[in-house]
Amino acid sequence: MLQINKTVANGKAVFALEGRLDTVTAPEMESAMQEVLPELTSLTLDFAGLEYISSAGLRVLLAAQKAMNVKGEMRVKNVSKAIMEIFEITGFSDVLTIE
Amino acid sequence: MKNKRIPFFKRLQEKLTADEMFHETEVQANRLGATILFNSGLILLLIMALTALGVFPLSWESVFAPSIQAIVEIAILMVLCLIAKNDAWWLKPLLLIGLVFVYARLDSMLTHKAAILMVIPVVFSSRYFSRRLTVFTAILSTAAFAGSAYWGATHGMINLNIVILPAGRQIVTTGDFLGEAVKKAGAEDSMLIANTMLFDYLPRWLMFSIASVISCNIARRGRDMVVTQHEKDVKSARIESELHLATSIQADMLPNIFPAFPERSEFDIYATMDPAKEVGGDFYDFFLIDDDHLCMVMADVSGKGVPAALFMMASKIILANNAMMGKTPGQILTDTNAAICSNNREEMFVTVWLGILEISTGKLTAANAGHEYPAIRYANGAFELYKDKHGFVIGGMDGARYREYELTLTPGSKLFLYTDGVPEATDAREQMFGVENMLASLNGDASAAPEEILKNVRASVDGFVKQAEQFDDLTMLCLEYKGTVDNKQEEQS
Repeated sequence: MLQINKTVANGKAVFALEGRLDTVTAPEMESAMQEVLPELTSLTLDFAGLEYISSAGLRVLLAAQKAMNVKGEMRVKNVSKAIMEIFEITGFSDVLTIE
Repeated sequence: MKNKRIPFFKRLQEKLTADEMFHETEVQANRLGATILFNSGLILLLIMALTALGVFPLSWESVFAPSIQAIVEIAILMVLCLIAKNDAWWLKPLLLIGLVFVYARLDSMLTHKAAILMVIPVVFSSRYFSRRLTVFTAILSTAAFAGSAYWGATHGMINLNIVILPAGRQIVTTGDFLGEAVKKAGAEDSMLIANTMLFDYLPRWLMFSIASVISCNIARRGRDMVVTQHEKDVKSARIESELHLATSIQADMLPNIFPAFPERSEFDIYATMDPAKEVGGDFYDFFLIDDDHLCMVMADVSGKGVPAALFMMASKIILANNAMMGKTPGQILTDTNAAICSNNREEMFVTVWLGILEISTGKLTAANAGHEYPAIRYANGAFELYKDKHGFVIGGMDGARYREYELTLTPGSKLFLYTDGVPEATDAREQMFGVENMLASLNGDASAAPEEILKNVRASVDGFVKQAEQFDDLTMLCLEYKGTVDNKQEEQS
């Protein structure tokens, strides 16, 4: 349901997500991020292939954003219209750096 | 000493009655025993028929008597099984003893051609998952088969099977390896030793012993598995009943008696919550802060199930406490956020829409912490989304501030609050219900009472998702502002 393509190099990571980030897949995403988060200074999330995000997915984003606030930057790119709407409703659009 | 006073049968019954957890598996084992007996009876009939037709090279005399005996025995046992419906403590020993004797008979007919016959009752006994019972069956089998073997070996077992040899012909004459061995051992004079060697009784007994050991092991492992499974069942039943209790505690936390304010003619309110799992993270709430102020809350905690439900309970109480202090919606959300952020290592959050209606004027003050847009219908219009100002979710960021906004509900206006479970209800093809469909079902009969409106939306959602499993909590609230006597008159004039 969710495919995570990650590239990590020199403390910079890109996570390209495909599918749905919901209650079922959020724990998978959480553990994939926790593996690399400690050594990162830059995290980019590519949402080009992301179809849906639920509140459980937002929780993972929030945790990542808070971790990256301390020691680097986190960006989210290629956000679809539907997901942008969710970000706006929940106020995440003010908290995340969306490109 | 006490045991002595209990009659023998009572004691036997106690010994043979299995624990409750083995009851079902024993009934199944009895049924299996009956099936084995039935098939054995068919085989015996077949042997009799074939012998009578002369196809089978057995003597009719050697087949008839033991077969009839065995068939009668089988018939009696099967009748007992039928009467007891496979469910009686005395069936287990009777079946095993019966099987041993049926196979001892069959063995005496087929003798060395049927090497594994004596193993069958022992293997079957392992199905009862009792090592003691298997050991008992193995000992009984050994005794029964030793008896039949001794009888066969000393009374000329050749008469009991295969062909009737011409009179005077000796058994040990073929000059085969075993025959030589018997001669070498100087045992040809003793029929017992000669036949024991000739008819492979020792290897058969060895096979039997190994099969018995394996059966004991199967019985013990089977028992362990049943016990473990039973423990798991008990545990999951406990969790299930706890969850069931949690469901009702959670449901009781929300105002759920309607009409909620029968004495108030100025407004009508109705709300429902259907969790996708036993407990949910969605909640609604409404209560009078004072005579003139009605507070309404619609909220959705991140995630689902027990963690979401725990967080929901805390959020609900903190929100209500803040509201009862007479704060404005913005203050309520700001203070609730501060309280929740002070101890939230799991990064849980909750989206909240909170509004306070001034009943006498219809003035609605509200604040939104990352929650869905409310749908509002003014007087005789249609429901439309009200794209209000949004703050961040509660519990998301320490120090977040929330601003409130005001609007005025005219008499006849309605407010519809919901969680994302409604627009995001998904059908089997992963299509979402969507906000447009939600508005369409609201406007299907926009003038209906709040309870009817929620039923209409629920019916549309159900019609859309059809057989697909409900994935998210479905929570809705509808308020109809009827206005006071004063402002109703104003409206008319």
